[in-house]
Amino acid sequence: MKPVALWIAAAAALYAASDDSFLIRGAAVYPVAAPGIENASLLVLDGRVAEVGAKVAAPRGVRVIDGKGLRVYPGMIDSATEVGISEIGAVGVTNDVRELGDFKPQLRAGIAVNPSSEHIPVIRANGITAAMAIPDGGVIAGQASLMRLDGWTWEEMAVKLDAALHLNFPTITTRRFPAGAAPFSEAKRDYERRLKQLDEYLEQARRYRTAKKAGGPDFRTDLHFEAMLPVLEGKVPLMVSAVREREIKAALEWAEKQKLRLVLSEVRKPGAMLAELKAKQIPVILGPTQDLPLDHDDPYDAAFTLPAELYKAGVKFAFGSFGNQFSRNLPYQAATAVAFGLPYDEGLKSVTLYPAGIWGVSAEMGSIEKGKWADLMVTDGDPLEVRTQVRRLFIKGKEVDLESKHTRLYKRYLARP
Amino acid sequence: MKYRVLALACSALLLSAGETVAEVPSVIAIRGARIVTVSGPVIARGAVILRDGLIEAVGDAQPPPGAWIIDGEGLTVYPGLLDALSTLGLPDTPSLNGTGRPNATRPQGAPPAVPRGPEDRPLNTSYLRAADELSPTDRRLEAARNAGFTGAVTFPTQGVFAGLGAVIDLAGKRPGQMVVQSPAGLYLTTHSGGFGSGYPSSLMGVIAYIRQIYLDAGQYKTAKAIYAAHPKGLKRPGYDKWLEGVLEAPRVLLPARDPKEMERMLRLGEELNLKVLLYGLAEGFRAPEILKNRNAQVLVNLRWPEKPRAADPEAEETLRDLETRDLAPSTPAALVKAGVKFAFYAGALEKPSDVAPAIRRAMNAGLSHDNAVRALTLNVAELYGVSDRLGSVEKGKIANLVVTRGDLFRDKTEVKYVFVDGIKYEPAAEAPAPAPEVTR
Repeated sequence: MKPVALWIAAAAALYAASDDSFLIRGAAVYPVAAPGIENASLLVLDGRVAEVGAKVAAPRGVRVIDGKGLRVYPGMIDSATEVGISEIGAVGVTNDVRELGDFKPQLRAGIAVNPSSEHIPVIRANGITAAMAIPDGGVIAGQASLMRLDGWTWEEMAVKLDAALHLNFPTITTRRFPAGAAPFSEAKRDYERRLKQLDEYLEQARRYRTAKKAGGPDFRTDLHFEAMLPVLEGKVPLMVSAVREREIKAALEWAEKQKLRLVLSEVRKPGAMLAELKAKQIPVILGPTQDLPLDHDDPYDAAFTLPAELYKAGVKFAFGSFGNQFSRNLPYQAATAVAFGLPYDEGLKSVTLYPAGIWGVSAEMGSIEKGKWADLMVTDGDPLEVRTQVRRLFIKGKEVDLESKHTRLYKRYLARP
Repeated sequence: MKYRVLALACSALLLSAGETVAEVPSVIAIRGARIVTVSGPVIARGAVILRDGLIEAVGDAQPPPGAWIIDGEGLTVYPGLLDALSTLGLPDTPSLNGTGRPNATRPQGAPPAVPRGPEDRPLNTSYLRAADELSPTDRRLEAARNAGFTGAVTFPTQGVFAGLGAVIDLAGKRPGQMVVQSPAGLYLTTHSGGFGSGYPSSLMGVIAYIRQIYLDAGQYKTAKAIYAAHPKGLKRPGYDKWLEGVLEAPRVLLPARDPKEMERMLRLGEELNLKVLLYGLAEGFRAPEILKNRNAQVLVNLRWPEKPRAADPEAEETLRDLETRDLAPSTPAALVKAGVKFAFYAGALEKPSDVAPAIRRAMNAGLSHDNAVRALTLNVAELYGVSDRLGSVEKGKIANLVVTRGDLFRDKTEVKYVFVDGIKYEPAAEAPAPAPEVTR
């Protein structure tokens, strides 16, 4: 008993000075992994959740925040963005999404993320605390990185630099830029050629692995193939965009043949592949679910009801905004899905716990649980409600300023004479 | 001299490849045939007398002595069919279905490679005259005659201001003999050069460009008139060849596929004070009243919309596309019902023998046989202002006839004779299409 008390006493001085320890008192806490608790307290020590409960004593010196009338949720995770690697789409020099070349698994999007991006405060203001930065271009575009939305440098922001490898899996594309269409047979030949190229690349990577195991004086390290090793071993999933049934089927069959782990993204019309996705436990990152329907004669709410369909089929999914500034709409993607048939809890989990699971960081984030990082949003209401305001935001227990370009402009024009 | 004889022999051989051309008797009488005059009632049994390329008499007339007599027993005489929009006789012009060779060389004095604005006159070859480019040896002429066509309104097809068309007969020894009326109109498209090819590269740009050209043409006309009246002491207006054809055209052909385009083009025509012929009209069945309300005159494409041939088999087609494909052939019947004047054109079909099946589809969708015939004969002539010369079996008109066994457009109908300018052409029993290479 005594050593513990001593330890607390010693720590108290430390906490008083540190900015990543606090106690929120009298708030409704929604851990997401467990039912919500009214009038509860949440203790954060050294940036991690220490305790949640009806009565939690504040260690001496720990800052106490009055949570009356407020709710505490885990911060949201956007599973697909260009945040930090694209600032203004139309201004070329501010875009760092596409690198030249077809196969570049060694590229890590995370180290290109600009911590001072104007988008980051805007997104945070809506309760998003982490986002996947996804590189694009070529066939193997590079590594998609899960980034915390606070930090002075990319190193401070990085949660997992190799959360996934983004693969532009070949598709049969008859449309031609800027207009017109290629004959189907030609498009199919092109598709088969590109698929063969990809297969050959993977074969090369496998040979590299064998050569590396064998060692020998002739072996030379190759950063491309080095980056492929965790993929071949199934430690890093491939993120593959597959919109329609045919593309999903092709990607699944290919991944099975190649024995690779998949995360599908931008699924819109899975059709009969829903059962397959469930059976093979392949998670899906849903694209902007507030989109217009994909095809001319689809029901108006085709994109809105898709999450509920996936849920009913037992497919695991998370939401991605596939943008930068529009990442702030992430909670409303979940909200629309809930309005169109997805159970509320699932909607909330699809922007918190599920993405954490899909990206392999559920031990660290995604819910309010003892030991996890305190990435928290404190709101005045239900986060899936448009009128709700995020009042405070914590990333790794550190309170983050909610000022953004939007609020600056708001104040500026409010003050206009 | 020797060479010339040889050349004549060769061309005679060419012409006779699949059909027989009669020696030219100055008077021909078709006796005892059923005559569909189109302009008047059907004559159950009568004669048609042709003299020097004109129709001399229709009905009870007795064949003059010395006339070449054709027994019309069991045959029907129709006015020769007219294709209201085609490229017949212009072998170097890409046909309306997008096949064919584009002009290999840029016309002299053409605008710079990347046009920056309307002042560069991009996609404007309004100075091209179909009448100047005709070739009587175009192999497609014979196939067209074999299908019952004796005339066509033929146009250059490239660019936004493609060029001036001409009403032509589908036979002639020399190009000039083929021309009935030139210019017949100016053919416009909304095909922009596409992305990266400079101005105009969008539909909006094309429409703005069309407007600008007509504004420029108006200004040009006024300037020329002022100068012509008082040339002394006035700076002369520059010659603008890209506006000459625009000013000269008696009418303008504008594309319209669906109701929105119909409305848009008719409004454009009203705004620019043009005499407009709309062409296309695949979705005319959706809103024939738009055409009626604005007193539109239209040319209906006989190439009914088809399923894209090389499309992705799994691509979802829109309900609208499927509906259009199903109902486009009902457009003619809908136009008749609404009281809109229209003619057919076959220029976008692959071959003239596709005309009859296409007409049958329109008839199955409610078009009467009479109206179908009219839309390929007299209506064409009326829409182009040549009904005093073409389009019906009437005294004084040009002797362009088609004589069939059975009603035109029926499945088993046989085209027995075709007369162009009073000259008889007989399709071979098995008409080879395209005509084989004969001499070289």
